[in-house]
Parts: sequence; structure tokens; C-alpha cells
Amino acid sequence: MSMIEFKLNGKPVAFDGNPLKRLLDVIRDDFGITGTKEGCGEGECGACSVLKDGKLVTSCIIPVGAVGGCEIITIEGLRDTPQGKCLVESFAEGGAVQCGFCIPGMVMAAEALLMNNPHPTEADIRLAISGNICRCTGYDLIVESILLASKKGEGLW
Amino acid sequence: MVNETYIPSTLEEALKLRAEVHAMPLAGGSDLMVQYRRGTGVVPEFPFPVMIMSSLNELKGIKKEEDGSVLIGALTTSAEIASCEDVPFFVRKAASLMGAISLRNSATIGGNLGNASPKGDLPQPLILLDATVVLQSINSTREILVDEFIKGSKKTALADDEIITAIRIPNVKYTYGYYRKIGTRKANAISKLSLSALIYVEDGIIKDFRVSSGAAGPKVARNKANEAKLIGKKLEDIPALKEDILNTHDQTISPRAMATWRRNSTRRMLDYFLSEVAKGGDEGIIQ
Amino acid sequence: MSVTHIDDKIKRVDAVEKARGEAIYLADLKFDSMLYSRLIRSTIARGRIDRIKVPSLPDGYYFISAKDIPENGKNALKMIADDWRCFADGDVKYVGETIGILVGSDRGVLDKLYKEFEITYTEETPVVTIDDAIKNEAAPLCKENNIMCSLVSDKGEDINEVLSKAAEVIEETIETGFQEHVHLETNGAIATIEDGRYVIYASAQCPFYIRKSICGLLGLNPEDIVVKQTVTGGAFGGKEHFPDVLAGPLLLAESIIKKPIQLSFDREEDMLYSVKRHPSKIMFRTGVDRDGNILGSDIKVYYNCGAYLSSSYVVLQRGVFHANGVYNFPSTRIEGYGMATNTFPSCAFRGFGAPQTIFAIETHLDHIARKFGYDPAIYKKKYFLKKGDETVTEGHIIEDVKLPEMMEQITSASDYYRKSAEYGYGSGRGIGISFYNHGGAFTGNGEQAIIKGRLKLVKDGDKFTVLCGQTEMGQGFRTALRKIVASTLEVGMDEVVFDAPNTDLVPDSGPTAASRSTMIVGNLGYRAALLMKEKMNEEHAEVEVQYEHPEGHPWDQSTFKGDAYLGYGWGAACVEVEVDKLTNEVTVKGVWTSHDIGKPIDELIVHGQVNGGVMQSLGYAAMEKMENTTGHFKQSSMSDYVIPTSMDFPKQEYFFVDNPYPWGPFGAKGMGELVFNGTDAAYVDAVERALGITCTKIPIPVEDIEGLRR
Repeated sequence: MSMIEFKLNGKPVAFDGNPLKRLLDVIRDDFGITGTKEGCGEGECGACSVLKDGKLVTSCIIPVGAVGGCEIITIEGLRDTPQGKCLVESFAEGGAVQCGFCIPGMVMAAEALLMNNPHPTEADIRLAISGNICRCTGYDLIVESILLASKKGEGLW
Repeated sequence: MVNETYIPSTLEEALKLRAEVHAMPLAGGSDLMVQYRRGTGVVPEFPFPVMIMSSLNELKGIKKEEDGSVLIGALTTSAEIASCEDVPFFVRKAASLMGAISLRNSATIGGNLGNASPKGDLPQPLILLDATVVLQSINSTREILVDEFIKGSKKTALADDEIITAIRIPNVKYTYGYYRKIGTRKANAISKLSLSALIYVEDGIIKDFRVSSGAAGPKVARNKANEAKLIGKKLEDIPALKEDILNTHDQTISPRAMATWRRNSTRRMLDYFLSEVAKGGDEGIIQ
Repeated sequence: MSVTHIDDKIKRVDAVEKARGEAIYLADLKFDSMLYSRLIRSTIARGRIDRIKVPSLPDGYYFISAKDIPENGKNALKMIADDWRCFADGDVKYVGETIGILVGSDRGVLDKLYKEFEITYTEETPVVTIDDAIKNEAAPLCKENNIMCSLVSDKGEDINEVLSKAAEVIEETIETGFQEHVHLETNGAIATIEDGRYVIYASAQCPFYIRKSICGLLGLNPEDIVVKQTVTGGAFGGKEHFPDVLAGPLLLAESIIKKPIQLSFDREEDMLYSVKRHPSKIMFRTGVDRDGNILGSDIKVYYNCGAYLSSSYVVLQRGVFHANGVYNFPSTRIEGYGMATNTFPSCAFRGFGAPQTIFAIETHLDHIARKFGYDPAIYKKKYFLKKGDETVTEGHIIEDVKLPEMMEQITSASDYYRKSAEYGYGSGRGIGISFYNHGGAFTGNGEQAIIKGRLKLVKDGDKFTVLCGQTEMGQGFRTALRKIVASTLEVGMDEVVFDAPNTDLVPDSGPTAASRSTMIVGNLGYRAALLMKEKMNEEHAEVEVQYEHPEGHPWDQSTFKGDAYLGYGWGAACVEVEVDKLTNEVTVKGVWTSHDIGKPIDELIVHGQVNGGVMQSLGYAAMEKMENTTGHFKQSSMSDYVIPTSMDFPKQEYFFVDNPYPWGPFGAKGMGELVFNGTDAAYVDAVERALGITCTKIPIPVEDIEGLRR
């Protein structure tokens, strides 16, 4: 089996191992970046959300063999971009963060939304994060924080 | 036992692997990767050889055919189906309510059919519309009704040298349509029950009536003999025929768990649809 | 650096690192040559272990069980009692009971070995449900029956006499189900040795509980073990005592293997093999006069405690003390029974026994009000507790009760009275209302008699370090305490340091539980800061303070008489729904709450606590179904045990009333649990009204509503 080559946070990387290994484990164990969390292991909770070619996916159900040639962005690849900074800042300012375990995935979901819809309504936001389970916040302040990001980040998306 | 895993880059290669080692196609992974997971940091182990299908671009995309039917590549995701205007309402709606956004970006129509879960979202409207599934092997291609392809809970007619390459949805006319999915919650939900129904009226005569129920038995329930009771009739005949149709549809479904609710809700939804149609109001989707 | 004021709008101190994915949770921690582990667990609910066939273990792989406990060690986890065995030995008492721990370097190999274990049992008939336990047909789990713990509280006249004189006695049984915490981060811990001492890293609420609980396994003292809390991804009570169950086997393994060992549950394990909220069965016999006025209520409270006591007796006490809700009935008698069963032990969950009885009394009163033709809001208001009223423990309500004002806030905002009249019963639309409270901190004088919380404040130049055992688990206390201390000292928050506790470095300020952190430990921080203000000229200064119980509020723990709680949080909630009569799907149209938490320490933090607590309560009533009739939990994943998404409930409208609490920092009282305690009942009231049904059991997903419709 040949190496699986893809881009991780803008850098070309190669994975030499079992192609059925979960993308989540490859990101966390092989590449040692741990901002992407495992909440359920079955694609239900969204804590492991990453962008695959610009689309939000849960990395716990994707075999690394399926991402050859793809561009994968994790929270580490987003957080220092202008959009990422705006989202992180808005989440902090808006009180979106409690235990924080769902938040990196939630930020990825917000990015995926704003890329396609820079001026979302509350309903758009609720739909866009409905695959990201949060047990702490009741979601209201997360929704407000994404609204805040879309205002503060005018022109970024 | 550790099985080989393959990543074919062409359909031809995939068909060969399927024929020679009976490698199981792994499409979006949303079913298989969960079913065979072994926990954090451990590679999932499959009891059969697997081929990861993600590179096969020829199996992706939606095409409208000249006869009005729609051909959907097996690796087309639910998100793509949900956002494509060419796809009939019932299927689009079901695709849009499958799991959450991230799941819809991974899960494919081929995977949803191949997995044949009774709770699967797409088989129900596909069976309503008499959609067919294109099954290809190295030597042949056949096309059978989705209703024949899915034989029961997690059972299909897929031969061990075949791959699902596409799904064809005929152009089915309808004057009134209805689709409901009741999930475990408002979003990111597995189906607890679903129902689709349509009626086509031409010159005041009912030309077509169909109803299918999902998650109400080991496979999607549809009864063509029951549907035929309305064909050739007028809208004003519906009230007189309704009770019999409801009773027969009730006998068609076979829920085990939550049986009372599944039966009663199915009956109430179908009753509602027929009653609304009988009023002969504006055409379209009944909410 | 600008001075932080208590009313400033501030950012949580941990928000940015968490949002950037930089916070290191337990599963993110890596040590050189770290080993992994799996718990080997019982697969039956009750029986004898006949044989454990351990697979042949490769070099560097270990299976450790009860037989490995040293002679001076005891096979017990010391929670409140020490009945919970670290390892099952000879027999098993519930599905999932730890039999041993399997340790090794490769998780794939561990998974293979795990599946090769063969354990044979002689099964015995298990006791699973509360009804099983009451019937007492299988061999009893306690001496003669299945009652693990019990207590009685009463006030007023003899209840049987009161009921005998009543025009009518209304009998009703209300039941609630299991609830799983589903903290997004599953349970996990790591054991290692640092500088020759045992160290436990844990995702946990109470580091001091862990060392006390596990030290006896090796015949050690608590001080011989260091516990360091890692960033904790939610807890809600699920990481109060339960981390002991991970740390115990890890400690024993560590004593033998002496390399870092990680144990981190996957979601399925966390669902099936962790503690839950106690299911309850609450039976009322309420005497009323001809007009429906309540003369007295005889209440029997049964909680399913599972196989071990853990915190159940205390949970039951809280349930009993909250069983008459926010009401003052002339006479009440409450008997509480903690039932032993062969299920996974139940333990702490936000509310700690109060939510079950509060749900029951609220729902029971709704039904009585409806029977006599009263609007539930107006009916309930007649019985609101007031300052000075006697409680069921013969204590008194010490504070002003602002429920009428809170009721006014939510009924105006929701347009309750108009909607209540207009929707009526059975129209498909409904509005419900509920009232609730929660006694802050440990019961009675427990803070002084048992906990004796201490906090230390150290000044080094212009840096102030707060040392105490309180943990941040998402609720915001790391921010709140820094804010309290900074604003008392009149310095900026950045000058105050408060890190995750390490039991070697901080005094024991008591558990992060019981809604006590702000109210009790926050006040220790406030007091320490006041003392420190006298020493602001010194380069280095230290002050240490300890909890002091206000005088004049006695409590007798042997009779449960006296002032059970010095301060209650109070709440009122309205929920409006629309129910699809075709499918029973409920759409919540609005949620309005008002809470008396004394004073909000931080607007944004309390806003988040209200939203989150209310949402968990709505989930509890509406959808969170965890079934167990065989000893095995039926739901095992986040797809079959569903909790609310962002689409399930609408944006909440919330209010607070100002009611400063004399013994809390800046007037603050506990709130973390309060906000869970009542919205469930308002939801059920609304659904009942919308469909004209009577519901006596939660949760009520669509299929269960069907059974209530005629």
C-alpha cells in the first residue's frame, strides 16, 4: 500500500499506515495535534469536526484512506487566520465557552457556515451547528457569538 | 484476521477487486466505520476486505436524463442530493433531514442503500418513486427496483461481485405530495418513523396514488394493491374509500418496537393527507 | 492594569485557550512510555464468578484484579461509605462492575485481549427496578429487604389523622427515569509516579475525594497521593465520586507496573458503565377539602440507588427535604427510601435528588389544580413559602422569598394568563408553569461539621494566588473566583492567579459540588481578600480562612431537624408548546425563567448556567430515555440516548431578581443546580394541557405520549 498524501492545515503530509485508521486518530496521534476532540466516535456529536475540502465532516468516521489528495483543516489551521481569530475572539466575548470540549468543533462548524453564508440568521446558525452537541451552554450564547462574529468579521467571509 | 484494504482509483479497478476478493465498498463510512469501530487509537477491523471508494469520481454527481428521470451516482452525498433542484422533492427532503450537516457531507446514497438499515432515510422515498438501482459487475450491468434490491433489515440483493454504481429516479408526476420524518429529536436525528405519499390527478381523475412507510418494519412498506383502490377514482370518492385504505396500509406495516405509536401516527398522517387532498385545494406539497 | 469590579462584563479566563483547541484535556496528555488500559467488567447483573480465564498476555501486558491488592490494603473505594469495591471479588453486583484492569502499550492489542477474556458465572436473579426492590421477591440485597437507606421528615399534625378528616384523599404516583450526564468529555484518568510519589491526573470535580477514596487500596494515607485535575470537559455530578472508580484500579496497577498508565473511556463505555441520575418513584396521598385546598400530604419517595451506596443517602436526604417543593402545607410527612438494586450505582447529577421530588410535587399540584378547576399558577401561589415559614425539617426559611415577583416577571413576559385561558386543555397548544428551589451547599451544618473548607491567598509582589481545591469543569468558577478576589482587593483580574488544583499545593476547600463553590468558597475568597487588604504594603503575605457557620442556625444530623439550608436559590419557569396531534411531536415555542440567585457574580456566566441547566431539564423531560429492565442499559450511544441539539428548543428569555444573600460573596447564592430543578415540570404541564392528557412519568418522547392519549 502506498503512502496516503494529503494537505493538513496547508502543509503537504503523508501517512504511511493502515488506510482504515480514523482520520481523527491520524490527526491526534500521528500528527500530534489535539485540538480536534473525540466525543462519541460515531459521527454524532461533532467534537471531531474538521473541514475536508472546505466541507464540515466528522473525522471519527472517515478512514484516512479516503482523504488522499484532500485538504484538511483543523482548529490548529483555522485559529490564526483572520477568520479563525475573529471566531475565537467572538466566542470568548459572547460567553460561548463553558467546558470547552465541543468548542473547537463548534468553531469549525461556524467557519463552514460563514464561508457560504457570511450574514446568517439565528435560524441559519442553529441549523449549521445542529450536528455539534454541547451539554453545557444550551446553545444560546454560542448562537449569539456566531452572530457577533459575522458582524465583527464583516468582509472576512 | 487482518484483511487487506484497497483504494481503487477507477471503477474498473474497483469492479475487479470486487470480483476477485469480494472487497466491500466503503463509501462515506458513516455506517461501516461506526459498526466496526474498536475505540480510540485503534484501527477499525472489518471481517471482510474493504475498498475505500472515495477516489471514484465517476460515481459522483447528479444527471437529469432526457426522459425526465434523474441519475444519481452512488457516491453522491446526501448534502449534494439535498441541494439539487433536479432531484424530486421526496428524496431531496429526506436527504436534507438525514443526520446533521457533517454527516450529510459524508454519507452517500449508495451507502445508505447498501447498508439497508430499516431506519435509513433514503430508501423510503426512493421506493415510493419506483427508483431503480444500477448494479455493475465486471461482466454485466443490471438495474432493479430499490424495493427489490432491499430484501429486509440489512439484507440486499447485491451479489458479491457487484457494486452499486447509480440510482435512477423516474419522473413521477404528482398533484399532491406529503413527506414526514419523525426523528429522535428535531435535528441530527435517526428516523423513528417516516411516511411519503403522493396523488396525481388528471382531468379530475386520480391517476396515481402511492404511499410508503419507513422505519415501520424490517423494510420500507408499500402496498400497490392498496394504492390501486384510488386509481381511476375522483377526489370526492376519497372519504368513502379512506377507511379501507388506512386499514390496509396499517396491515402493510409491521413495527415491533413503539408499535402503537408507529401504527397510530402512520394512520393519522395518511388520514390527514387523504383528507386534505379530498378537499381539492391548491396543488403542491401538503404541510 | 485597570481594577476589576464585580459588575464588569468580563471574558472567561479559559475561553480563548479552549476555543483555540489549546486546552489540554485528559486524553490530550501524553507521557513517555505511557501505557493504556481497559477495565474488565461484569457482563451479568448478579451472580458468582466461577472462573476468569485470562488470555495469554504478551510481555509488558498485565491483568490486575482484587488478588493483587496488598495485605495491608482494603478492596474498597471510600466515598461516603466504603461499600463500593474497587474490584468485584467472588461475586458481581451489577453489569459493568470492575473485575480487573488490563494494561499494556498498544490499544489494538488491548482490544484483542479484552475480547479474549472468558468469565463464567453462576447467575442469580437480579433486582433491577424500584418495583423489583419493593416487591422483594428475589434474594434481598440488604439484610431482609432492599432498603439501603431511609429517613422520615414531617411537620404539622399526624398525617393519618389529617387525611382521615379530608373531604378527599388524592393518590398519585409520579416516576422519573435514569438520566446520563453526557459530559462531552468522557471519564478518564492517568496514574503515574513523580518524584517517588503516586500521582493521579484526572478529569474530575473533587481531587481531594479521589485521594481519600483510593489510598486505602495500598494501605496509604490520603497525603501519600497527589491528585492533579486536568481541564475537565463537563461533569454535572458525573465526575464527583465516579473518577474514584477509574483511579482505584489505576493506582493498584501503578503500584505494580510503575509506568504512566492512561484509562480513558470511549462513549459507549461512558454510557453503559458510569453513574446516572437516580430513577424515582414518588407516591402521594394528599388530603384536600371540598374546594381543593390542601390539608396535608403523605409522600413516599423511592430512589433506585443501584448496587452501592456511593452518595445515595445524601441524594435521598436532599430529595426528601425538597419533596414539598416551594410550598408550605399545614402538614406533611415524607418517607424516603433508597432502594438497592443490581444496576450501576446511581450518583450525583446536577440537582442531587431534588429534581425528582420537585418534578413530582409540581406535577401532582398541576393535576389537583386541574381537577378542581384552578389555573395551576394561581393555585400554587397560595402555598408559596415565605420568610419565617417552617420547613419539613422543623427549620425555617431564613430569607425573603421573591417568588411572587418572579412569577410576575415570567407570566408577563410569556403572556401566561391569556394563553393559559385561551389554549385550555386539548387545543394542541399549551403553556405550563413551575416553581422550584434548591438549598445551597451541604445540608445543615455539614459545611462546618464535615467539610471545614479552607482557602489560602498568597501575595507575591503584585501577584495574588488563590489556593483552594475548587475545580473548573465548565461552570465558570475559575473566572468567578478570580473576579471575586480581584474586585475585593480592588486589583485587576490579571493580577489574581487561580489554577487547577493539585492536592499537594492547595488546602482542601471541599468538593466542587452542591452549588457551594461561589456561595461558600467564593465567600472564603472574599474573606481572605478582605484580610489581605490589610497587608497590601507587604511584599509577601499569606492569609488562610476557614468556613464559619453563622450562629443561630442549628442542625442535628442524627434526627435531620433544624435549618437544612441557610440559603435557597428560587426559580420559576414558563414553557409554551405546540404539539402535532398527528405525530405527538412537541415544538417548544418559548421558555421563560426567573431565578433568585442572590446576586449574579458575572452576567455572562450565569446566563450560560441558566441556559444550560434549563436545556438539560427540558431534555430530561422530553427525550432523554435510558431504560434498564434486565440489568443492562438499553441505550449505549449518543444516537440512541439523545440529548438536545441547537434546534430542539428556542432561545430562552431569562430574568433574575435581586435578593442579596448575607453570607455569600457580594450577596451571591448557589445556582448551578437550581437552574435544572424545574423547567421539566413546566414542559410536562404544557404538553399535558396541549393534548388534554395526564402524565405521571418522564421522559415523554412521542411514543410515550401515545400511551397517554385516549
